[in-house]
Amino acid sequence: MAVKAIPHAKIKKPRTMWGDVVLRFSQNLPAMMGLIVVIGLYAVALLAPILVTTNYTAIDLDNVRSAPSLVHYLGTDELGRDVYSRVVWAARSAAFVSIFVPALSLSLGLFFGIIAGYVGGWVDTIVMRLGDILFAFPGLLFVFFIAATIKPAILLWVKGIGLTEFAKQGFVDYIVVFTALSLVGWPGLARLVRGQFLTLRNREFVLAAEAIGVSQWRIALKHILPNAMTPVIVVVSGGIGGTIAAETSLSFLGIGLQPPNPSWGQMISDYYIYWRNTELWPLLFIPSIILVVIILAFTFVGDGLHEALNPYLD
Amino acid sequence: MARLLEVNNLRTQFFTQDGVVNAVNGISYTLDEGETLGIVGESGCGKSVGVMSLIKLIPTPPGKIVEGSVIFNGENLIDMSDGEIRSVRGNKIGMIFQDPMTSLNPVLTIGRQIQEALELHMGMDKAQSKARAIELLELVGIPSAADRINDYPHQFSGGMRQRVMIAIGLSCNPQLLIADEPTTALDVTIQAQIVDLVKKLRDDLGMAIIWITHDLGVVAGLADRMLVMYAGMIVEEAPVKELYANPSHPYTVGLLGSLPRLDQVSGEKLDSIEGLPPDLIDLPKGCPFHARCKYRIEKCFTENPPLKTIGVGHKAACWIDVTKDPITTERPYQEV
Repeated sequence: MAVKAIPHAKIKKPRTMWGDVVLRFSQNLPAMMGLIVVIGLYAVALLAPILVTTNYTAIDLDNVRSAPSLVHYLGTDELGRDVYSRVVWAARSAAFVSIFVPALSLSLGLFFGIIAGYVGGWVDTIVMRLGDILFAFPGLLFVFFIAATIKPAILLWVKGIGLTEFAKQGFVDYIVVFTALSLVGWPGLARLVRGQFLTLRNREFVLAAEAIGVSQWRIALKHILPNAMTPVIVVVSGGIGGTIAAETSLSFLGIGLQPPNPSWGQMISDYYIYWRNTELWPLLFIPSIILVVIILAFTFVGDGLHEALNPYLD
Repeated sequence: MARLLEVNNLRTQFFTQDGVVNAVNGISYTLDEGETLGIVGESGCGKSVGVMSLIKLIPTPPGKIVEGSVIFNGENLIDMSDGEIRSVRGNKIGMIFQDPMTSLNPVLTIGRQIQEALELHMGMDKAQSKARAIELLELVGIPSAADRINDYPHQFSGGMRQRVMIAIGLSCNPQLLIADEPTTALDVTIQAQIVDLVKKLRDDLGMAIIWITHDLGVVAGLADRMLVMYAGMIVEEAPVKELYANPSHPYTVGLLGSLPRLDQVSGEKLDSIEGLPPDLIDLPKGCPFHARCKYRIEKCFTENPPLKTIGVGHKAACWIDVTKDPITTERPYQEV
């Protein structure tokens, strides 16, 4: 009789750090609800051309300032534009802001933070003082200032390289808003990254990496950066809600996204005169409520990530 | 055997706010291929800085190698550019650090950290370096290496992490392995395992080893030759048996005297070397050890003895002969 092979003890598959993070995140109810809303936002933004009932710029002169109906689900504004279609289309603006502004601030913050923290010396001094100068201005005021001053320059540049069509379609507004918000957003991240690098670069594993001949930049990017990312992810994800709120404020004040590009901030600004109108109140309240829900959702996701990445917080 | 390493008058200083720290003060020694050299001395006597200087791993600033040469395979490592020395580190000269708990990067897998050097120096691609990393893990005695290669350092015990460090140190078949107190952070049974492992690997692979320790017991069975360092200087150099049998510097005598022995009479007190090593910023005139020396004579206060040959391969830096000259003072050390 052949001897049966003894089955090996089952080796537990090692759990990775990110596996644990996903597990802890999925057990966090508010974070999961937030995540669903956020995914919903991106789905609506992506499917906007299918979801709209009419072009968001189309004008229906027979129905100006009309209440919600079967033709215009949320009514029309004073120009006869379909508010439902504008609300849906504005999800694209919010989605763009929620992706590009954090990405741009993160790139700037990582770049300057790594340089300051790893190179040190006078480079560190210059970068950090530059950040301090930006910090010294009240945040939103500085964004207004930048948005108001760089727009003509960007417009000129876009036309200069022959993108006149883009300039007409409000592409410039996006660049202005993204640039202004990112310029104000990076110094905080740079400080954080710099602090991480200052502590991590003296750790023994950095010396060990040097001892096997790894180059300085490789050590900074492949050995130190992965150790520095956890708090950075938390700060970036936690800031997205605020970024959307900032874009809304800009648009509310008329220096953000310009018509015909729809933005919830702009709609709130345009429609707040109807706030006690018994028929037209949805024009104001629907974009406002959507905005609140989206901002809360991003905040919950950010908090969820924070807790998932720092399991020992109580 | 061919000469592998020749260190000449190496001098490393740290320029700090409090003054110039004379960490290594003109040490010279040689190492042949396949030879094992033990370096002993108490904490802060320049052992680590001495070997880190060999591959220019000194943080600059504040550290600086101010004098001397390190001839390795006929080339002076001290004159090499950053790029050139990086191609030696981890390739021809491997290094193991003291604390395996902090020397591995916590967010990279074990495999990634072993593969790093292989891809850097041997020009291997990912698949080749992974195969070699598994081989290396098996070589240093990690069971089911192929599975464990994707683990993170926190999933390994201290002894296993030190085995991984050894695997990294040996990954590119170095001619010289520098081990900077590799057993200090481990408990006694693991210490013995690690020493046995290194001994076996040395016999199989034939690399030379520089083994730093402050534990005379650990190196006794491993080293061919010993250096005793004090205040950044070499005070005695001898073949390992000769050093334990005939210590010829009062410091070495003191170090050996402070070891507990199996044949010791119960209740007998261990000898200790009273006092502390001198301040490296403000080195005393004369012999650096004179303040703590039981054998000291007038001359020790004014002149530092050179390292002179006193037997076959045996050198010591002392004015007196500890085997013949009497103890001059029973409690030499005075608090300043």
